[in-house]
Amino acid sequence: MSIENVANIIKPMLEGAQVTVLLFLIAIVAAIPLGFLLTLAIRSKLKVIAWFGHAYIYLMRGTPLLLQLLFIVFGLPLLPIIGEYMVLDRFTAACLGFILNYAAYFAEIFRGGLLAIDKGQYEASQVLGLNKWQTTTRVILPQMFRIALPAIANESVTLVKDTALLYAVAVPELLHFAQTAVNRDFTIMPFVIAGIIYLLITMTLTLFFKWLERRFTFD
Amino acid sequence: MAILEITDLKKSFGPLEVLKNITFDVTKNDVVAVIGPSGSGKSTMLRSLVHLETIDGGSIRVADRYLVKNGAYAKPKELSSITARMGMVFQQFDLFPHLTVIENLELAPRLTKREPLDAIKRRSSELLAKVGLSDKSNAYPNKLSGGQKQRVAIARALMMNPDVLLFDEPTSALDPELTGEVLEVMKSLAEEHMTMIVVTHEMEFAKEVANQVIFMDNGHIIETGHPDQLFGNPQFDRTKAFLNRSNSKKIKRKP
Repeated sequence: MSIENVANIIKPMLEGAQVTVLLFLIAIVAAIPLGFLLTLAIRSKLKVIAWFGHAYIYLMRGTPLLLQLLFIVFGLPLLPIIGEYMVLDRFTAACLGFILNYAAYFAEIFRGGLLAIDKGQYEASQVLGLNKWQTTTRVILPQMFRIALPAIANESVTLVKDTALLYAVAVPELLHFAQTAVNRDFTIMPFVIAGIIYLLITMTLTLFFKWLERRFTFD
Repeated sequence: MAILEITDLKKSFGPLEVLKNITFDVTKNDVVAVIGPSGSGKSTMLRSLVHLETIDGGSIRVADRYLVKNGAYAKPKELSSITARMGMVFQQFDLFPHLTVIENLELAPRLTKREPLDAIKRRSSELLAKVGLSDKSNAYPNKLSGGQKQRVAIARALMMNPDVLLFDEPTSALDPELTGEVLEVMKSLAEEHMTMIVVTHEMEFAKEVANQVIFMDNGHIIETGHPDQLFGNPQFDRTKAFLNRSNSKKIKRKP
């Protein structure tokens, strides 16, 4: 196989990789804060809000992400009456699906982080005269973030790989172009190249989180 | 006038009554040691003074304002300004692990903004020097020994200029060889006439530094008095039994 051939295969795959990375970035930037709001919801004193949070997390974690994506992309437009307003651009619809799904996982990660914080931290803050908002933002969140960091890193790597599910809702991304090239050229190379590109993305991500962890080691 | 007046304090956890009609007061410059067996309600009593526990009945007056009057708490808005007159030092130190020593001291004063930044900075370095930890200013708490952590916690509490400083078993979590440095700091505060209430198992400290000792057992104040009197000539059997037990503890060996 000539270099020219390889270049012909790689070029569309790199474009596909851009879609992969873009989806990843949009999903993670939106899902983390949404996940934190969910954590607050399930810890809410208002029973209705807590119940809603639990139900939401149960639903999102209890059904396959692929089903959720198919539901949003192909299912919603079939709804009577409102269906015609539910036709979203496929990429947008897929982003929405990832955000809604991953928020539930991040919510559970943050909940774990909050549980790990000693109640002495709340008591010390109260006695020093900090109000609830100051306690949350200046004492609890920084510690929760640090505790949750390894789990967030792990979830992020999973998210990169889950972007391949876009294949099923016909949004052209990295895997789509790899499969197309395999069918066209009868060669296994595109799969290998796709694997390498995924590895490069997850490696970058892993290094980034390792750096973050070092940055937030308090000693 | 007493700076703290505690009247008929009652508190239950479910069916368990942990405080039964606790009444005492603290005059400015007093050093009050609260002693008694585990589970006697000492810590719960202390914690209720800064509203870390909610009491079921009785009154707590701090200077001229009531935190609770006959079981009714002050308005939520006023609560924190009343408890702000008291500082607290915990058994487990409870320093903020994500902040350096100096940041631990300055966080609350900076956020509550009761004074200009340069005054806060000046006092934080003064207080660190006072507890002998100027060289640890930029260290994180997990690089400190237990004794050093507790000294930072004391400095952090002093940053808020409390009228009364409460200590909840401040040396109980420390290795024996580290209790001395913390007790020294507390002793020097007493010499500067800081008003303090100290829940403690350190009888020697109570004898030497306190001017009032309160013995609690089973949710009651059994006996209260000057240390010479309470340790030298206890009036009640329960006090005698407790003091005998804590004297013999050092030589008692399990079979």
